[in-house]
Amino acid sequence: MSHLIDTFGAFVDRQAPAHPVRARRLLIAAYEAKKWQMRLAPDRGLPPSKRELCLIMMQSILDCLRRPEHSAMVSLFVPCEPLTALGVHPYSVEGLSCYLTGAGAYRAFLDHTVEDGVPETLCSYHRVFLGAAGMHVMPAPRFVLHTNLACDANQLTFRNLAGRFHIPDFAVDVPFAHSEEAVRYVAEQLRKMVRFIEDCSGQKLPEEALRAAVGRSARTAKNYRRYLSLQNDHWLSGDVTSELYAAFMNHVLLGTPQVERFSQMCLEDVQNAPPRSGLNLLWLHTIPFWQQPVRQRLNFSDRVRIAACDMSYEGLVHMDASKPYESMAARMVYSGFNGSAEYRVKAALQAARTVGADGVVYFCHWGCKATLGAAQMVKQSLEAAGFPTLILDGDGCDPGNSSDGQVSTRLDAFLELLEARNS
Amino acid sequence: MIYTICKYTPTELLASFGQTCTVLDRIPECFDRAEQTAHPNLCGFGKSVLEAVLSGGVRELVLVNCCDTIRRVYDVLQRTGACDFLFLMDLPHEACGCSRALLTGELNRLLNTYATYSGMEFSLPKFQAAFRTNAKNCGPYVGILGVRVGRDLERMMARCFSLPVRNLTCTQGRCLNGDSVRAAGTLESALDAYAAELLHQVPCRRMDDETARQALYRDPDLRGIVYHTIKFCDFYGFEYAEIRRQMDVPILKVETDYTRQSQGQILTRLEAFSETVSGPAPETGGSKLPTEGVFFVAGIDSGSTSTDVVILNQDKKIVGTSIVPTGAGASAGAEKSLEAALRSAGLRQDQLARTVATGYGRANLGGGLEQSVTEITCHARGAFFLNPKIRTIIDIGGQDSKVIRIDGTGHVINFVMNDKCAAGTGRFLEMMARTLGMGLEEMSRTGLTCREDITISSMCTVFAESEVVSLVAQNKDVSDIVHGLNKSVAAKTAALAARLGMEGDYCMTGGVAKNAGVVKALEEKLGVSLFISDEAQLCGALGAALLAFDL
Repeated sequence: MSHLIDTFGAFVDRQAPAHPVRARRLLIAAYEAKKWQMRLAPDRGLPPSKRELCLIMMQSILDCLRRPEHSAMVSLFVPCEPLTALGVHPYSVEGLSCYLTGAGAYRAFLDHTVEDGVPETLCSYHRVFLGAAGMHVMPAPRFVLHTNLACDANQLTFRNLAGRFHIPDFAVDVPFAHSEEAVRYVAEQLRKMVRFIEDCSGQKLPEEALRAAVGRSARTAKNYRRYLSLQNDHWLSGDVTSELYAAFMNHVLLGTPQVERFSQMCLEDVQNAPPRSGLNLLWLHTIPFWQQPVRQRLNFSDRVRIAACDMSYEGLVHMDASKPYESMAARMVYSGFNGSAEYRVKAALQAARTVGADGVVYFCHWGCKATLGAAQMVKQSLEAAGFPTLILDGDGCDPGNSSDGQVSTRLDAFLELLEARNS
Repeated sequence: MIYTICKYTPTELLASFGQTCTVLDRIPECFDRAEQTAHPNLCGFGKSVLEAVLSGGVRELVLVNCCDTIRRVYDVLQRTGACDFLFLMDLPHEACGCSRALLTGELNRLLNTYATYSGMEFSLPKFQAAFRTNAKNCGPYVGILGVRVGRDLERMMARCFSLPVRNLTCTQGRCLNGDSVRAAGTLESALDAYAAELLHQVPCRRMDDETARQALYRDPDLRGIVYHTIKFCDFYGFEYAEIRRQMDVPILKVETDYTRQSQGQILTRLEAFSETVSGPAPETGGSKLPTEGVFFVAGIDSGSTSTDVVILNQDKKIVGTSIVPTGAGASAGAEKSLEAALRSAGLRQDQLARTVATGYGRANLGGGLEQSVTEITCHARGAFFLNPKIRTIIDIGGQDSKVIRIDGTGHVINFVMNDKCAAGTGRFLEMMARTLGMGLEEMSRTGLTCREDITISSMCTVFAESEVVSLVAQNKDVSDIVHGLNKSVAAKTAALAARLGMEGDYCMTGGVAKNAGVVKALEEKLGVSLFISDEAQLCGALGAALLAFDL
């Protein structure tokens, strides 16, 4: 991280214990400044779609911090169309944690969780936020929506946050099986979830508004799938941070007009991009966007880029706007992150073929047991299908759980291997 | 024999096929197979299931969709085909009507799958007759809460307490009365009733509504809780923190990795906790102390790095001390240290009226010892003797660090210890000193001044070492790096202290108390002044000697 960010983060860390509201204001001011920088002097290396993406995400984070009373805290895999259709802002815990780490402000929050008894092996996206909430730096939203998809940490973190903030919580239980019976079970819960949202927000959700939102989700999914298939033979430069942003866009903001527009822009950008000239990586699971060795090798490189990340494209299944509940439920039930890891393997194989991956990086985010446990299975299957696979241990959010030296050596060796294979 | 792992497993259903179910509890020597087929950073129990199956001997296994680790264990085992019969039962997260229907479907699926596999027929009468009622226990007890414990650890816990110990962890406390199942006339209604009974047990932590778990720790007969967690199982750490905040009942957290490693450290904690719950163990019939005249007692603290001895006279005045490296054997180290202390006091061993041992090696020091007491009780007694205002003791030794809270009479109220990770201990500093090519004394002085405020973000010792190497390569000033390391130890220790709550005057004991840089960083982090006696390193041995008067 840059010296400026480190210094700023350390300053926020020092303010947080005694002056949490001041710490929050500092973060808001920094994010606002960054937003203006993105607007007035955007990163010239980024294509227009990714510039738009950065602005949408930044605005979304600012909305959570500035207007928490109009926000609902959500876990990443909860369908948010009912919220956005009602004008309730989705408040993404994982997204905010990324922004805290991006601002260098995470150490004090992580320390606080240790003092608070939160297990050190819990996902760091959740620990950073739990610490910030425990220190009152994060404001209380109106209510919580969470699901057991895609990991156990959701059950623990969101239940804890609802108790901590004294706000109501609704949980969507997604069964293990990929089946139509499971879709019906989840759809029924989503209907209850909408009634819960209506009770909490005091607004009635018109069915038509929900159908319109799911219709936008369906068109977004179609555009994004087409965009991914064009990654195979076009070279659109980008950075790891915006690839991670896309994961949030295609989950918590899916169904909004902004995201549909973003997907159209992605399609236009890739269609106008020059022919493919470097290595295409398929990245599985979250991306340590803050880590220098990863940024140095993958940001705006002519040599290699992340062509697709399963966090961004999972769940972009066919949706039918006339059946909004079943469509949202199907997204959860048939997610590659739900049920047996064989589904994740299958989805990865399909994506690797779609984008013409030269290699696959399977990122073992510290504490994510669902991902760690499938590491060898995924590697065996992908390699058997001809896709060299690197299992990369690290942490998407806590620099303390990862070593730059180890990551750079492994990435370099893998890239050398891929290049030798292609030569 | 069908192996199971969870109290939600429908064992009565499997019993209807004439099968016996038993909870899989195999503590492996290593996790080689599990780590080759999955990943090292999974919970030890999940890895033990993989080891047990992949090493043979488990042919039939019924898993429940308990957690991420078990889901992946199922996936891996499914691929290997190592079981003749492998089944994962999905368990809803709530107990509402829809969930009950979902679970009924799962029970039906299990029934049909097992019938097909075994060629046996399901018997409704046998199923209805399979329910057993557990005898009700009453009277004071110590409860084991949290995640499953292996049988060895449960036995160790039972040996440590004078009160009965009840296992209330996630695999235990199964009590289905079966009335509604027996009353059902058809298989369909019996399975529906069974699903309801399974879902309405005292919930484990994965269930959405866990209110009923409060019955486990709000029982008036509960005298103490040993709260067990397994590294990389996150479900129970939150509950431990909640119980600690809400309840006055003494509670000890024990974290394991589901191996036999660290049993010595766990035993120390359990014995110290037992002393907290019910006082030190009764006298074992050793020699009586004279009631008058001149006599001497000794305390031996057999630590991982050094063995310390303190000899007191009848007036509790220190007449001899020694600190010698423990070396290869605890017993030889103790003999050497005792000889040195006797020499410094001008005494012979037969002049000692009583000797009490403490520290890691206390159980291995051989004959001649009246009693062994844990270092937690000894540090508390020693620190209180040196300064009666002390209420919180921070002890950082060679391989562990502890924070001990004591009351106004010097008795232990509560304590916490680091887990087996070396971060925040003397060993961490030793390793970093070696990396920097300096001695511990030099390191102690070097860290007092700094120009740049460096933060070592890695808590893991190995990663921290790599971070230090990288800082050296960046030509960072050594004093700044040492200052960063001191802050790292201080942060780890302060987090331990915060778990007990900040209270009263603080003192620091143990070898690291001699490190001025760490002491300064810790004082800054805690915002308090630390009392450090000249006898700080001898505090455990002093406490042991003082206890010799009482035992």
